[in-house]
Amino acid sequence: MADRKEFVIKDIDVAASMRNQKTANIIRLTVIYIFLTLMAVMMIFPFYWMIISSLKTMEEYRLNVPTLWPKKIVFENFVMAFEKAKLLDLFLHTLYVGAVSTVLSLVVTVLSAFAFARLNFKGKGIVFGALMATMMVPGELYTITNYLTVSGRLPFLEESISWLDITNTFAVLIVPMLVSVYYIYLLRQTFMQIPNELYLAAKVDGTSDFKYLWKVMLPLSVSTIITITILKMMGSWNAYIWPRLVANDDAHKLITNGLRGASFVTEAGDTNFPAQMAAVFIVSIPLFLVFVFLRKYIMRGVSRSGIKG
Amino acid sequence: MKIVLQNVTKAFPNRNKKIKEEVIAVDGLNFEIPDGKLVGLLGPSGCGKSTTLYMICGLQKPTKGKIFFGEKEVTHLEPEHRGVGLVFQNYALYPHLTVKQNILFPLQNLKGEQKMSKQEMLEKAVAAAKLVQIDELMDRKPSELSGGQQQRVAIARALVKEPRVLLLDEPLSNLDARLRLQTREEIRRIQRETGVTTVFVTHDQEEAMSISDIIVVMKEGVVQQIGKPQNVYDDPCNLFVAKFLGTPPINVFDGKIEDGMLKIGDEEIMALPGQQDRPVHVAIRPEGFIPCEDGAFSGILRNIEVMGRDCSVILENEKCQKETVRAIVDSGIDIKHDATGRVRFNIKKNKVFVFEAETELRINVEG
Amino acid sequence: MTDKKNNYKAWLYLSPALVLLLIFSFYPLINTFRMAFLNGYNGLAIVGGETFEFGIENFKTVIGNVDFKQYLKNTVLLCVITVPISTALALLIAVALNSIKPLQKVYQTVFFLPYVTNSIAIGMVFNAMFTRVGVGDLIETQGIINNIIGIFGISPVNFVNNGSTWGANMFVVCTYIIWHALPFKILVLMGGLQNVNKQYYEAAKIDATSKARTFFRITVPLVSPMLAYVIITSFIGGFKEYSSIVGIFGETMGPAGSSGQMNTIVGYVYNMLPKSNLGNASAASLILFAIILVVTAINGYVSSKKVHY
Repeated sequence: MADRKEFVIKDIDVAASMRNQKTANIIRLTVIYIFLTLMAVMMIFPFYWMIISSLKTMEEYRLNVPTLWPKKIVFENFVMAFEKAKLLDLFLHTLYVGAVSTVLSLVVTVLSAFAFARLNFKGKGIVFGALMATMMVPGELYTITNYLTVSGRLPFLEESISWLDITNTFAVLIVPMLVSVYYIYLLRQTFMQIPNELYLAAKVDGTSDFKYLWKVMLPLSVSTIITITILKMMGSWNAYIWPRLVANDDAHKLITNGLRGASFVTEAGDTNFPAQMAAVFIVSIPLFLVFVFLRKYIMRGVSRSGIKG
Repeated sequence: MKIVLQNVTKAFPNRNKKIKEEVIAVDGLNFEIPDGKLVGLLGPSGCGKSTTLYMICGLQKPTKGKIFFGEKEVTHLEPEHRGVGLVFQNYALYPHLTVKQNILFPLQNLKGEQKMSKQEMLEKAVAAAKLVQIDELMDRKPSELSGGQQQRVAIARALVKEPRVLLLDEPLSNLDARLRLQTREEIRRIQRETGVTTVFVTHDQEEAMSISDIIVVMKEGVVQQIGKPQNVYDDPCNLFVAKFLGTPPINVFDGKIEDGMLKIGDEEIMALPGQQDRPVHVAIRPEGFIPCEDGAFSGILRNIEVMGRDCSVILENEKCQKETVRAIVDSGIDIKHDATGRVRFNIKKNKVFVFEAETELRINVEG
Repeated sequence: MTDKKNNYKAWLYLSPALVLLLIFSFYPLINTFRMAFLNGYNGLAIVGGETFEFGIENFKTVIGNVDFKQYLKNTVLLCVITVPISTALALLIAVALNSIKPLQKVYQTVFFLPYVTNSIAIGMVFNAMFTRVGVGDLIETQGIINNIIGIFGISPVNFVNNGSTWGANMFVVCTYIIWHALPFKILVLMGGLQNVNKQYYEAAKIDATSKARTFFRITVPLVSPMLAYVIITSFIGGFKEYSSIVGIFGETMGPAGSSGQMNTIVGYVYNMLPKSNLGNASAASLILFAIILVVTAINGYVSSKKVHY
């Protein structure tokens, strides 16, 4: 480097430059905090509006100039929500479906994940690949045929068999949704992180596969099991399309379907928004609780993949 | 351009938040780095050498004290105004940019009078690449390069804007042994060619000794000794420096001064007239032993490791602070032990250092 | 243990999942193709023992259908609008979040809140926020959103009520989808940003790189894998959009008086189902599948060119 022109420190007044730097920093941070606060307000606003609306009287909700906090807090909207939307029934149905599907789904998931993670067998790669490939396919593709199947239409038979029709039962809400390839994948990944040596040691000691699964692998995978449980429960709670299609009767309706279907129309013919917001609020409470107490398990599920439960 | 550190201190808040006391990483540093020299900051990990480098660079600011570049104080100046080039320990090459783009990157940031045309930038980049001999790899991505090549790209990127000071953080630590030798020569050559004042950090004393004009030995945030590598090696100011420099390491014994005589056990090593009687540390470089049948020092022969030109004689001596003593002698010499298994040596006086037992400071034995 | 025994055991573990997948995933996949390529298939045996002819009539019908064209346009537009906006916004928020220390966790929690919600229920809240109450001249409240934009001097818009325009509806739907998409994207992008080695920023700082240049030349390329990931997942999600719109408008998929105005491809599939237009439903779902495959492929191609490492 022949013609080096030395990097000259310009005659900066160091004190002034520091002051400028400080000012610039303060401005930058202020802008960032204002931006984040604005965004945070937008994030929260719908929840806020839902809550305060559910506590307002119909008259107050309809004020031309809205109130940002109820002048008079009333709880009758919640009573009305329970009555109009039959929320208690919906809640019990959903709880039942959620609990049964979660337990059965866990059994199926654990067994498959164990086979994929620990056992060697012919065709393992092909089967696993086929399963993973189904994640690419939009669910709507399955829904059409599954709708036929649960209505009692056997494969390729253009006739319904009435005793095979299981629509409007709890089984139809549970069985077709039992297997989630994503959960199998998630749990298999967790299982694979358990060192192989543990398995070999157990084999040397004469432990059976099943006992090893039950005594060693499951306890070591508790957090993934919890993640799956939460996602599955939330899945039942938020399910809309399938329940709407195959179990829309009052005896089996699930909560989201019931909420959307419930009529909050007043005698005058327009919507009773406070009552509707009360119903929405009630349906949202379990999710808030999950958010407050079990957030990290969901975040763990999300960060591994973007598929929502 | 010279760099002056005046009483520079850096304290960090304690990681354990319950403890209020701060951690002093660097304590009252005072030294001057002359213009155009290659300076090695040397010390064990955690001695504050990297913090010192980062303060010179400007990424960290001293808690106390001042830093001058030439006559100008830069203590609180942001790094971008200092005109320094830094080579990170793991190189920090932008993984998504090619070698050429990486080297061009600093030039593209220049503003105002310093702004260059595309052609100028390219010429500079090619010149820098040629200097470190990677001009044939310009279109590769960092992930397609070996560790040594990445190192060169990082140096080129640091040099391309012609900084007044080049800083290298553990430049050789991520390279394998063979590359390390080659690269340190390379750094020496590049520094000579550019004449840029260069400071590098290392925990490897051999690395520092072999290429530095000046080494700064640090321990626990405090400078122990500064000087030309050979001078520091030949004249360590305390036990730590003596132990830290030299491979194989120096042999340290529990000794004593008795009646003007330096003794290890009962063996009289050399005369120390005018010294009070007291216990001391005696340190002898491995090359300070001369086999001699009626020598002053003895040890029980344990092993002889022949390594071509030299051989290491492994001895046991009960006063040694480690399990074994290592002496390096010409491999031509026949090592004979007596009936009790002991080998005797004469000791070269200039290879013996005596330190106070308590303070571990050097006792000047000449005067 | 012999290989054979191992084989048999592995299949035993897998059997529950495989049986269910065979019935509810693999069979439907094949059956959907069968139904789509049988002209005019309606799922009922033709009197007289004739069979449906093999052909592409169903696809022709679907593509020629005025409603389907409208729904396809809706779907494509809402993807094209929401994906870039929500991705850019999420990146800005993530970068801002990543650059602050105090309150970072609090903001992060707030931004994750909409993720754990019921999309139907919160859709109803958005509906409430945009709905004006009252009829004709007797409007009592314009709805909170109209009240808010009124502060900035914008006259009230009929967003979702009877007679609202397609554009106004689209605005509401896109707002909701963007709001709902942000948490997942922020979470993924934050993860990406936090994994970026701080030394790249230090190196940039030493070289006097401006903030803007650091953002576009270093930050964006280094999180490009995460960006690609959120873009592809939100495109797929966008093309399958259905329940957000049900949440806002109910099953009419549009404001009163213009039902179906906001309907989507998935909505078309479900419209066809109860009418036993199985051939059309299957064809439409295959078109959806094809679109998703194409989008994924394009994204994969662009990613391989642009996404680093």
